Amino acid sequence: MSRKAVVGGATIFAALALWYVATSVTQMISPGRFPSPADTWTAFGQITGVGYANGVLIDHVLRSVTLVTLGFLVAICTGVPLGLWMGWSRKAEAVINPVFLIIRPIPPLAWIPLAILWLGLGDMAKILVIWFAAFVPSVINAYAGVRNLDKTLIEAAQMLGTPFLTFVREILLPGASPMIFTGLRLSLQASWTTLVAAELVGAMTGLGRVLNAAQQDLYPGMILVGMIVVTLCGWLMTAALGVAERRALSWNTASQAGE
Amino acid sequence: MGAIRFDNVGRVYGTKPGGFEALKGVDLEIADKEFMAVVGPSGCGKTTCLRFVAGFDRPTSGTVSVDGVKVTKPGPDRAVVFQQFALMPWKTVRENIELGLRNKGVRKAERKERIDRILALMNLTGYADAFPHQLSGGMQQRVSIARAYVLDPEVLLMDEPFGALDAQTRVVMQEELVRLARRNPRTVMFITHAVEEAVYLADRVAIMARQPGRVKEIIDIRTIREAERWDDHEKIEDVMDLESFVHLRTQIWRSLREEKAMEIA
Repeated sequence: MSRKAVVGGATIFAALALWYVATSVTQMISPGRFPSPADTWTAFGQITGVGYANGVLIDHVLRSVTLVTLGFLVAICTGVPLGLWMGWSRKAEAVINPVFLIIRPIPPLAWIPLAILWLGLGDMAKILVIWFAAFVPSVINAYAGVRNLDKTLIEAAQMLGTPFLTFVREILLPGASPMIFTGLRLSLQASWTTLVAAELVGAMTGLGRVLNAAQQDLYPGMILVGMIVVTLCGWLMTAALGVAERRALSWNTASQAGE
Repeated sequence: MGAIRFDNVGRVYGTKPGGFEALKGVDLEIADKEFMAVVGPSGCGKTTCLRFVAGFDRPTSGTVSVDGVKVTKPGPDRAVVFQQFALMPWKTVRENIELGLRNKGVRKAERKERIDRILALMNLTGYADAFPHQLSGGMQQRVSIARAYVLDPEVLLMDEPFGALDAQTRVVMQEELVRLARRNPRTVMFITHAVEEAVYLADRVAIMARQPGRVKEIIDIRTIREAERWDDHEKIEDVMDLESFVHLRTQIWRSLREEKAMEIA
């Protein structure tokens, strides 16, 4: 094991020990404000066993992960092509950019009331809000990816007589892909943040719903369980995206050097 | 077939009265299968001239034509070798060379055969599946030349192709290009600022002057090269030692230096 891993492990262990000491041994922090490890474990047992807030843990996780995935996919399937188009065509940029500049500064969460007004408390409203939040980073980074593409590579492709669709698939897309993946990572983070917020406002199941119910029940142990599970889900999805990125960009020396 | 012709070509940047005149009245004819080197001080517009033939840029006056047809856009009949190689970093050597053939609709079996042949010719056998960043600069430029040659283009446009290479690699590449050009002659427009390279490789050398950019003088190399049998010598340094080579080199240097002197004066 490397020295770095040992130090890191020791730090985490110390933090856990401090948590235990502060909440359980000395009771410096009252269990009403922050849960002890035992309270958290009990809450975890409850939500995986009898369930909490209309479902067991796996129901909430599946619901949230499904909505995040759907919203994220809708956002990137619309955002990346739009960004590529704006990067490639000066006309598209001239037409779309002004609209984009107006919409862009609106915080995604500020769309939640309007989304609920339009689509109610159901899934569609949440997907819509995730779309608003995750769309922007996808567009901007795909756009920048095309703009930063080496001009001589474009000229080389033209000189080789590359037809437009081949050009998009084999030059534009891979050339912009390091930036596109940066956008996807930001989009994924935005998707999670937005979903949890939207579920806090109104949902039947989902991790945000668990957090909201636990807050109303004054149940710190369950709040912490919800926070931990949300973090784990987000982290796993980001890791999965990272694997896809390394596969797609195996040719890229810069991405390897950055690791 | 592949004769290049510049007819009174000019290029002005900006609007007329205050505009910068980069090229003025360029007349140049490169015959079919002729190797023409273009030398000149930086800023004389030699690369711009090459970009007109490639179809990347357009002159503001006059015409550039290939085989009597005015150039309007880039195409695989005029293959370009760029100074910075311009290989797709996400494609392997084989995929890079293959793109142009695929665009032309060459069948898979024939593609493989032609690529294998050009790889062998360019001493790249065994590197077909490498990515560009795994190769040295000299090898990357060989891939770039292979990508151009495999299309069997009428016209080959080379923009300081050896400018980014170190001196030793450069010499090896020059010898290889001479072998390739003599065995499989194409119409070549070769931009360089290295006078010796121009004399060694070309049939004729066009000397350009600047402010505004124009063709000042054209020097015939081929007649002397054939009379003095340069091609009997395999190594570049043996050719460079020949009196006839030194004489031509000096003649071109003088012509370029007159330019410089006029600038200073």
